[in-house]
Amino acid sequence: MSATTAAGAAARARRPVPPEIRRRRLLLSVANHSVAIALSIAFLLPFLFILATSLMTNQQALSPNIWPHPFVWSNYKTVFESFPFVRYTLNTVTYAGLATVGVLLSCVPVAYALSRLQWRGRQAAFILVLSTLMLPPQVTIVPLYVIFVRLGWIGSLKPLIIPLFFGDAFTIFLLRQFFMTIPQELSDAARVDGASELQILLRVIVPLAKPALAAVALFQFLYSWNDFFSPLLYAGNNPDSWTLAVALQQFTTLSRGVLWNLQMAASLLFMLPVIVIFFFAQKVFVEGVTLTGVKG
Amino acid sequence: MATTAERPAAALEQASTAARRRRRRRAARHRQLVALAFMSPWIIGFCAFYVYPMISSLYFSFTKYDILSQPKWVGLANYRFMFTSDPLFWVAIRNTLWIIAIMVPLQVLFGIVTATVLTRIKRGLPFYRTVFFLPTMVPLVAAALGFIYILNPAGPVNRVLGVLHLPEPLWFVDPRWTKPGLTLIGLWGIGQVMIIFLASLLDVPRQLYEAAELEGARPWQQFRYVTLPMISPVIFFSVLIGMIQGFQYFTQAFVVSKAGDRTNEVGYPQDSLLFYTSRLYQQGFEGFHMGYAAAMSWVMFVVIMACTVVLIRSSRRWVHYQGGFR
Amino acid sequence: MRRRLIGLLALALLAAACTAGGGGSDKPAATVDPNANHAPLTLTVWSDFSARELGVVTAGLKMATQKYPWMTVKHVGSKNDQDIQRAVNGGTPPDVAISFTPDNAARYCDTGAWQDLNPYLQSSKVDKAKVWPEGVFSYTSFEGKQCALPMLTDAYGLYYNTDLLKKHGISAPPKTTAELADMAKKLTEYNPDGSIKVAGFMPLVGFYGSTTANTLSHAYGAKWYDENLKPTLTSDPNWTKMFTWQKAMVDAVGYDKLQRFAAKLGGANSEFSAQNGFETGKIAMMMDGEWRNAFIEGDKSKVNYATAPFPVDPDQPGLYGSGQIGGTIGGVPKGVKHPAESWLLLQFMTTDNTYLTTIAHGLKNVPSTFESLKDQQLQNDPRFKPFLDVFANQQSTFKPITPIGQTDTDLMDTFTQKWQAGKVPDLQAGLKQVEDQIAKQLQLG
Repeated sequence: MSATTAAGAAARARRPVPPEIRRRRLLLSVANHSVAIALSIAFLLPFLFILATSLMTNQQALSPNIWPHPFVWSNYKTVFESFPFVRYTLNTVTYAGLATVGVLLSCVPVAYALSRLQWRGRQAAFILVLSTLMLPPQVTIVPLYVIFVRLGWIGSLKPLIIPLFFGDAFTIFLLRQFFMTIPQELSDAARVDGASELQILLRVIVPLAKPALAAVALFQFLYSWNDFFSPLLYAGNNPDSWTLAVALQQFTTLSRGVLWNLQMAASLLFMLPVIVIFFFAQKVFVEGVTLTGVKG
Repeated sequence: MATTAERPAAALEQASTAARRRRRRRAARHRQLVALAFMSPWIIGFCAFYVYPMISSLYFSFTKYDILSQPKWVGLANYRFMFTSDPLFWVAIRNTLWIIAIMVPLQVLFGIVTATVLTRIKRGLPFYRTVFFLPTMVPLVAAALGFIYILNPAGPVNRVLGVLHLPEPLWFVDPRWTKPGLTLIGLWGIGQVMIIFLASLLDVPRQLYEAAELEGARPWQQFRYVTLPMISPVIFFSVLIGMIQGFQYFTQAFVVSKAGDRTNEVGYPQDSLLFYTSRLYQQGFEGFHMGYAAAMSWVMFVVIMACTVVLIRSSRRWVHYQGGFR
Repeated sequence: MRRRLIGLLALALLAAACTAGGGGSDKPAATVDPNANHAPLTLTVWSDFSARELGVVTAGLKMATQKYPWMTVKHVGSKNDQDIQRAVNGGTPPDVAISFTPDNAARYCDTGAWQDLNPYLQSSKVDKAKVWPEGVFSYTSFEGKQCALPMLTDAYGLYYNTDLLKKHGISAPPKTTAELADMAKKLTEYNPDGSIKVAGFMPLVGFYGSTTANTLSHAYGAKWYDENLKPTLTSDPNWTKMFTWQKAMVDAVGYDKLQRFAAKLGGANSEFSAQNGFETGKIAMMMDGEWRNAFIEGDKSKVNYATAPFPVDPDQPGLYGSGQIGGTIGGVPKGVKHPAESWLLLQFMTTDNTYLTTIAHGLKNVPSTFESLKDQQLQNDPRFKPFLDVFANQQSTFKPITPIGQTDTDLMDTFTQKWQAGKVPDLQAGLKQVEDQIAKQLQLG
């Protein structure tokens, strides 16, 4: 809120509000809230349907009753018994965790070089980094698949994790934008004190960049958790390496006779960790998303 | 003319300048090396995972290759087949265009609408914002599975429609309704776009609205002449990203096609869900025509680049950047 | 600078060409393991069996260990052809692969994804013609390469609910497609709101997997290709007859009604569940494979039923008694670590009669070798005998297999689904389009 609007609001507050306008404002407010409530219901309804179905017996799943009758809490236990849910979760956590670590380790120095160091070719390098964002992954998957076949990595999660230890354009971009907002004087002061660039990075920049690092880490974790295409391609033929996304999709097609209640239960379990993380880290998410959109 | 007394001084001066220049050059080279050292992870990654595969895939696109045996050079045969003989290439293009021409604009529109609704909420904004954003947290596979159930011909949505005496489409079983079904999933996940629009809408300076109101502009006119231009950078951004993602649309379509029956082809029913990447996957990783898949990927790359350039060029005409927005 | 760039590019291109090479050289002729002492070895078998069937085959495979005590067999189910192909391409194939899709055998032979078994058969002194009936070779070999062998086989026929037929005054199953159409109409019952309560016959393609354009084509003797592997969808008039009949069956009830009925039954995925429409008495007559007998028993379904050959074109009564045959095949993928041992296991799985008859009883599949076909238990089962007869019928075939694998049936099924939905105004033009698509795909290879 800029200064003018605050003054304007204060000015308006001083004037008495005639009843018709008050009524109109109330009606408008009710109307707006109704629309918002209606939209909220629409957004929440799928969750409720999924939750409700996950607690039904399979017979009831597509029947006219939409309320579970009885509540089959054991569905969740059955999910763990029906297929190696724990292993898939571990695979997913491994992938997402290592991916996040890799991305942070590799992108921080790169973003630093692109934002806080002066060197010949910096602009060209930045353009190259951005260009990889524009590149559709489909162009490189065929040869990458062949390379990974030759390396013997197909069927494991290595093709997914290891490339992320060599930089990720989106993360580099976000971090660069953020690093550029840190005042140069801080770096200069440290340089005068005789610190090397590495020390400046680790002791000055990184502590200041914690919010951006958190946002980037969360984005990568979420992206890897939800990733389907790459795990399907590289680990799809080895069930031991499946992540939850692949496993869930494979099991809808495997079970002879769709067990909707179990599938919904499994889907909920798949979504749950990310939703929980979201609730605890809401601010970081929203700020991070805004960082991409508006300042981009 | 320099005196004899000044010459040694000048020489000393020159010597120190030269030394300074040498030092500066060394320092610059040192800086360069440090910078390159910091950039090294990305440089390695760029060469290994971008440059090399791109050249490789261009090479593959001119071969017939199924991994098991050596690639066989076939020249332009793959491209010729793609444009003249592939029975499903144009189907894939049409389906992908549907996404870009219909789903993406609908998503942007819905994003603006929901963001606008939120700008008018004074109390409970965090609650609504959370609720609207929550679906974007859901993994695509889970969202697709959830909607496959919800939009089942005998599922909850159809039951509600039946109670309201509205027609009950067969959704993911009826090829006319599969893409609209996918659009519903896309609209459900509008949260991320909405947040960006919300921030942008809230950033529009109040005095512009007040000035417009003073001149007698109705709310609709205010929206058209104040809001839209102010948020046009975000619209441009959303459309650009949406378009690029639209070309790569795969996961939801794949999950939906195969959910009914694993033996369904990618794109079931009746190829209504056969998108460009789906066709690429089908040819490359189910049929193992890797050369053909590589050719398809290069065509896709060229098209995306062309569309991006067109979009950026056109943006000069309708995107209005405030000072500082770039 | 530019020169350096060009040099770099050339180097990259060269590197690309080099590393693009195929994996491993093909080793020469096979050697077979003697039955003497051998170090303990675990061999992995991949198949698409699941649930009950998986258990039957796994139990049967334990007999291999009884015969070769050093061999342990690990059976992994739910692996379809693409999974196997991906594993072969990725260099980690199973030791023995089983496929439900013989259509792909030609491609396996052509690309070498499954090894040519002729050298192994010779070394083991197996005389193909003495072990297997002629029909099986049409779907296990291609251009002289025998890259697969049948592991039991299938036959398709008609299942009919005797209670429902009696209820509507029908005493004998239909012998022609016209009779089938009449009876289906009589047997279909409706709910008060107009939706289907019991379907006389389910003509929809894309619902249950046994009703496809291919399986129905056998009722009319329609041929896919001529000797030059050119598609004959428009030149063979029997295709038009079959499609016209199929659409009439769909329209007699209504496409929309049938789709909703199918969704009500649980969709295509319910085919192998206990909610299967025929097993729950909701479908009176159905085309299915001989394995349905085992599922009915395994699901403890209460349906009273009988089986017969599938009805045929009234103009070609001589076709009655034939049907589609062909089924599970097995092979040794390229790049297995122990080819000789893999072959030993495969040989056991495809020729050992005790093994074959055991799993034939458990799966209720048609045995594939002359020896196992003589099995009395299957011959004396009145519900199974019709399928054995179909298999023995000289006119029963699978379908010509081509290097494009199941792409032709996929294209045909997509077309059939459009056709039955009424989206194809001109049948001939539509068939010509499919024909062209198949021909073009054959060119790509």
